[in-house]
Amino acid sequence: MKLLCLSWSHKTSAAAAREALACVQIERVLTVLRKHGCGEAVAVSTCNRFEFYAAGRPHVVRPANWHLDLLSELAGAEVSAEAEVFEDLGAVRHLFCVASGLYSLVVGESEILGQLKNAYETAKSMGMTDKRLNVLFQRALYVGKKVRSETAVAAGSSSVPSVAVQLAESIFGRLKGKTALILGAGAMAELAAKHLVARGVGKLVVANRTWQRACALAARFQGEALQWADFPAQLAEADVVIASTGAPEAVVTRTMAETAVRKRAGRSIFFIDISMPRDIEEAVHQLDGAFLYRLEDFESIVAKNMADRAESVAAARAIVEDKAEEFDRWARSLSTGKELSLHHSQRVVFDRPRAF
Amino acid sequence: MMLIQSMLNWGALFLYAAATISAGHYLLTKDLRSSRIMLTLLGIGLFLHFGAFTARVAVFWSFPENRFFLPVSSFHGALSCMSLALAATFFVIEGQNRLGILGALILPWAAGALAAALLFASPDMTPLEPRLRSYWLNIHPMVLMSAYAAFANAFGVAVALLIQERQIKSRKPSELCYRLPSLDELDSLNGRIISWAFPLLLTGLVMGSIWSRSALGRFWNAGAKECLSMTTAAIYAAFLWLRYGAGRRGRTTVYVSLLGFSFVLFTFFGAELLSGRHSYMGGGK
Repeated sequence: MKLLCLSWSHKTSAAAAREALACVQIERVLTVLRKHGCGEAVAVSTCNRFEFYAAGRPHVVRPANWHLDLLSELAGAEVSAEAEVFEDLGAVRHLFCVASGLYSLVVGESEILGQLKNAYETAKSMGMTDKRLNVLFQRALYVGKKVRSETAVAAGSSSVPSVAVQLAESIFGRLKGKTALILGAGAMAELAAKHLVARGVGKLVVANRTWQRACALAARFQGEALQWADFPAQLAEADVVIASTGAPEAVVTRTMAETAVRKRAGRSIFFIDISMPRDIEEAVHQLDGAFLYRLEDFESIVAKNMADRAESVAAARAIVEDKAEEFDRWARSLSTGKELSLHHSQRVVFDRPRAF
Repeated sequence: MMLIQSMLNWGALFLYAAATISAGHYLLTKDLRSSRIMLTLLGIGLFLHFGAFTARVAVFWSFPENRFFLPVSSFHGALSCMSLALAATFFVIEGQNRLGILGALILPWAAGALAAALLFASPDMTPLEPRLRSYWLNIHPMVLMSAYAAFANAFGVAVALLIQERQIKSRKPSELCYRLPSLDELDSLNGRIISWAFPLLLTGLVMGSIWSRSALGRFWNAGAKECLSMTTAAIYAAFLWLRYGAGRRGRTTVYVSLLGFSFVLFTFFGAELLSGRHSYMGGGK
């Protein structure tokens, strides 16, 4: 079996070539190829990469240059020079690495798995996949999941909001039914509100010095607006407090937090301070049951997570290499008439332990 | 029969220890497989242990006067039974709540109790003393041991809660933080286990008192074990009052539950050491 892979990615090719290719509908690529008599092809198009895979018997698959010319024609720009070309084992290895997120901008991100799956399903629904590419892509999805569950390439959150939500979930379990208090109504406050609502927070309360802006932000997220002077009294009702006011001195003092914590009788309260200068006094963190995180705390967690991910790339590559060679043996066995068997060993599950 | 029993027991101990180790491995790495391995090992261990217990009952019943009483009146029997109850309650609670992560905190007690039974207590069995030959012998200790096993599970949950609290407080949470259940979940699980085990404890104590009345004519003998177990009950009552009556959560209640468990241990082991021949061999019970 012959396998050909052409790849344009954020690491290897200039933005111009990728932009030209991004405008090409993958359905169109496949339709044109079918017209030229190509039987098996899959095209993958994401914001950071364009990939093209073709497979078939060795004398049936046309050479890379022919495909490059065709794609340049479709893109309306000369993209051949920017492409990486892989064949056979190299192509399998490349696809498995892509599926594992090893070539993604954020290492280990799992969106790529869904994108590969969609691209494969599009090609499949157009009748452009046969045994070889079916097995190859199903294998790639399997390897992608396996790598993520058995190594730490996908461990830990990769962005500040997701780390914040993860920590909130480590305190409260699910955010459903929890109350969030947002101090300030600027862009950062809005971003925070968006994330909280997306995670199903039960009640959103916005307090701002300018009453109208509090109302406006609250209305956008079906929350409640609160008069600025009233927020200290309402502090005890909030499970998560996000502060981003831009005030010159702290708006939540230790005394305020102490009263709130006492009223809450030991139930935790999660303070998030994303403003500079600080909105929440550092001493709040010393209170029992109060957890204060500042922007740089989240950032250093993200940095550590990304460093951990980078460290496990070698382990991930070992799995990819192993599986790519296994696939290659299978592919070569097709022509000998004694087809080897290829099993997805165990089912891979993503799970976070949870009490109920 | 004794040989079979001993082999099964050692097999169970080995499996419990292995399950404990894989639970520890799960806690330290993110390998989901070790959690499954732990459950499997624990399951087989439970099976062997139950086999050993059955064999022990068979030997025990070879004394005609022991017929139909459970062999829990010796230190060996009690420890082994305690370990069985611990492993079984953990198996059930973990199975329901997917809390394999707590295995590293709870299973050592099961393995430890069985190891203590095998290493330090004589497995020999003798005919029961006439005054122990009561149907209460099958009920009273069993109820109390179930309560103790549940308290041990609550202890594991409480320790996990303190670890989780520290993790979040540190601002540099490790992987462990994301793998442990949330503070709220641990807190409510701790409360639920204790509020479920406390009535068992009370029932067990009242049963003991009734048995004592019918055997010795007194409800209360002021033995070390009785005093300690009443203290345990009082501490857990205080916990429940704080948790549900006064609505307190978090560290304070957790400390009370830890104190409660230390008294459980003291009641179970300490009383034995303090008063030598007390409890299981006769005395007040």
